[in-house]
Amino acid sequence: MSQAEDKFDAIIVGAGPAGSACAYTLAKAGKNVLVIERGDSPGSKNVTGGRIYTYALEMLEPGIFAEAALERRVTHEQIMLLAGQRAITVDFHQPGFNAEDQAPVSFTVLRAVFDEWLAGKAEEMGAIVACGIKVDRLIEEEGRIAGVVAGEDEMYADVVIAADGVNSFMAQEAGLIQDISAKTMGVGVKEVIELPAQTISERFNLQADEGAARMLLGCTEGIHGGGFLYTNKQSISLGCVFTPEEVAQHKRSVHEIFQDLKMHPAIAPLIAGGETIEYSAHLVSEAGVRGIHPKLHREGFLMIGDAAGFVINTGYSIRGIDLAIVSGIAAANAIIAAAENIASVGPNYIQELNRLKLLPAMKAADGYFEVLETPWIYDKIPNLANDIMENLFRISGEVPLRMKDNVLGAIKANGLTVWQLAKLGIKGVRSL
Amino acid sequence: MSQVIACYKWVADEADIRINADLSIDLSKAKGKISDYDKNAIEAAIQAAAVLGGKAVGVTFGTSDAKPSLKDALSRGLDEVCYIKAQEASQADGAATARALAAAIKKLENVSLIICAEGASDTYSRQTAPRIGAFLDLPVVTSVSKMELTGNTLTAVRKLDDCLQTVKVDLPAVVAVLPEINPAPIPGLKAVLAAGKKPVHELKAADLGVDLSPLSTISEIKGYIMDRKNIIFNEGDLAEQVKALVAALRKEGVL
Ligand SMILES: Cc1cc2nc3c(=O)[nH]c(=O)nc-3n(C[C@H](O)[C@H](O)[C@H](O)COP(=O)(O)OP(=O)(O)OC[C@H]3O[C@@H](n4cnc5c(N)ncnc54)[C@H](O)[C@@H]3O)c2cc1C
Repeated sequence: MSQAEDKFDAIIVGAGPAGSACAYTLAKAGKNVLVIERGDSPGSKNVTGGRIYTYALEMLEPGIFAEAALERRVTHEQIMLLAGQRAITVDFHQPGFNAEDQAPVSFTVLRAVFDEWLAGKAEEMGAIVACGIKVDRLIEEEGRIAGVVAGEDEMYADVVIAADGVNSFMAQEAGLIQDISAKTMGVGVKEVIELPAQTISERFNLQADEGAARMLLGCTEGIHGGGFLYTNKQSISLGCVFTPEEVAQHKRSVHEIFQDLKMHPAIAPLIAGGETIEYSAHLVSEAGVRGIHPKLHREGFLMIGDAAGFVINTGYSIRGIDLAIVSGIAAANAIIAAAENIASVGPNYIQELNRLKLLPAMKAADGYFEVLETPWIYDKIPNLANDIMENLFRISGEVPLRMKDNVLGAIKANGLTVWQLAKLGIKGVRSL
Repeated sequence: MSQVIACYKWVADEADIRINADLSIDLSKAKGKISDYDKNAIEAAIQAAAVLGGKAVGVTFGTSDAKPSLKDALSRGLDEVCYIKAQEASQADGAATARALAAAIKKLENVSLIICAEGASDTYSRQTAPRIGAFLDLPVVTSVSKMELTGNTLTAVRKLDDCLQTVKVDLPAVVAVLPEINPAPIPGLKAVLAAGKKPVHELKAADLGVDLSPLSTISEIKGYIMDRKNIIFNEGDLAEQVKALVAALRKEGVL
């Protein structure tokens, strides 16, 4: 084959949501696109909580969500504070999140199915998706990235797009990032537990195709991190994210802490009788806008999705899939707009990330990072909240504590001061 | 130009098959794949075609589910694939499968060698190669662990229970190969891309002009529980326990 035959308008490394959304948009505009995925099928190795915010799919193609391989429509947003055997659950129910004439706000999702579907859509648009192939190296020519090497084969393109996920090897190859630092990463473990659809609906009080998304605080033995629970059609995704550095110093393993969570009296009945059909672990960026790599492009090269560091973690939600899709669209738009002027692709891309509100949204969420840095919110806060509740509800025939004394006593018993809480409050109000 | 045929089957990936508590089989989550042993048959056909200076052609008999197999088979290096797409494939036994494959092969010219795997990774009936040979009236060599082509002669080493048998046949012939015949390589990027441009010939059941009804029908498929003897050797001291264990293993014929 001559080099002309081996040349594409764009080569995308990775068929996760970022890569497939980018391929879809480029192919739709008539570009000659190759997606290379190391898994035997797209999504076979990918891990997510997970839920996906629908607006991103709407941005890709209005109405496409209706045929997407998704699970339940989330109408129950829940937060759970665990302390010992105790638990407080906040359940915000908004049936309007699934109103008839509009796209639901978010869906629960299983990645193996969703990623394969999205890659299939890109193929329908004319992109070539080559699975079971790992990209080993980038080809650099005259200071620009000109193609990729996989095994013994070289393939060239005007632009190579790194959509290879967190800890992007492609971006390291391009010299744009160093090896990741453990400080800004969380390690997530997750089980998918199979149960009949009816059982799930009953246990979570769900109508037909409704679903619940729950974030858990106080399930990490004080380690910076938290848990999540999502109801799929016929399974529950339950997992935990931890800061690896703190795990290393902790006396118990991530696996042990997670098994305890499954046995918690407020969690065990939800998954009782279920069968674990999948266990997985993966890294996730925790640093928000500070985790975005300072350089997202060089000539002939762009980074999108997790490879670029696009994840927002607010403590009450993790957003990565939607940002992956939006950044994939932004990269595609940048390439389409640049036409022959390849040098303008990079600056176009940053412009598009701003226009599609990805960078502004990440900046706006920056305050959460500082709040989430506070070490005692992972054990003392959930414990404090549960203590206050317990004092409130434990009626014994004694003269009850005044509310003020209940709260102050509980704060003190948890080794905290009103001042510390006030400072956190001010920090929160200021930064959020 | 001579043609070397590789027959292959699209099967459910056994890693995804689940056996329910009542021993019924759940195939709903199972993805398809080319039967593992057939990957070796495909590679053997490609190597043979190279020696003979001919084309390597895949032939598969499957339902519409088998469509993803085409790209996979072609990316492994076959020059073309003939896809007999028929709903009958879902109920087919060894007889129907071999009849369909033989009818399709008959339509091809200058076929010098037909390679099957010894058995498919799902049913392992070991009928396809012998029956194709019978339908086409060709010599059949099974259990082949090594083969060599010189001119019009095939020398094949057959791996039997406890010895190796070397056989010579003149082409055209049918062989059933064992997985150790070759390591089937994983296709590279260019091979995968080239696969999209190679020809696929689709045949329908009616095009074959043969009866595809099975001679045997499946009445049930279910899992089974391996009966274990559950003998515990805990009498006496350690030396005695080991002695009892060894004696029991001898009795079972394992030692
Ligand atoms: C435990 C956990 C829970 C999460 N929960 C949520 C959630 O509920 N909602 C949400 O929106 N986000 C969530 N996230 C984040 C989300 O999963 C990611 O942000 C998202 O998957 C990023 O998509 P991507 O396409 O950039 O990368 P990925 O999905 O990681 O895809 C990268 C792809 O590239 C392929 N690849 C890598 N290297 C190569 C190579 N060299 N050659 C070829 N292919 C390669 C991989 O196989 C993979 O398919 C969670 C993450 C974790 C770890």
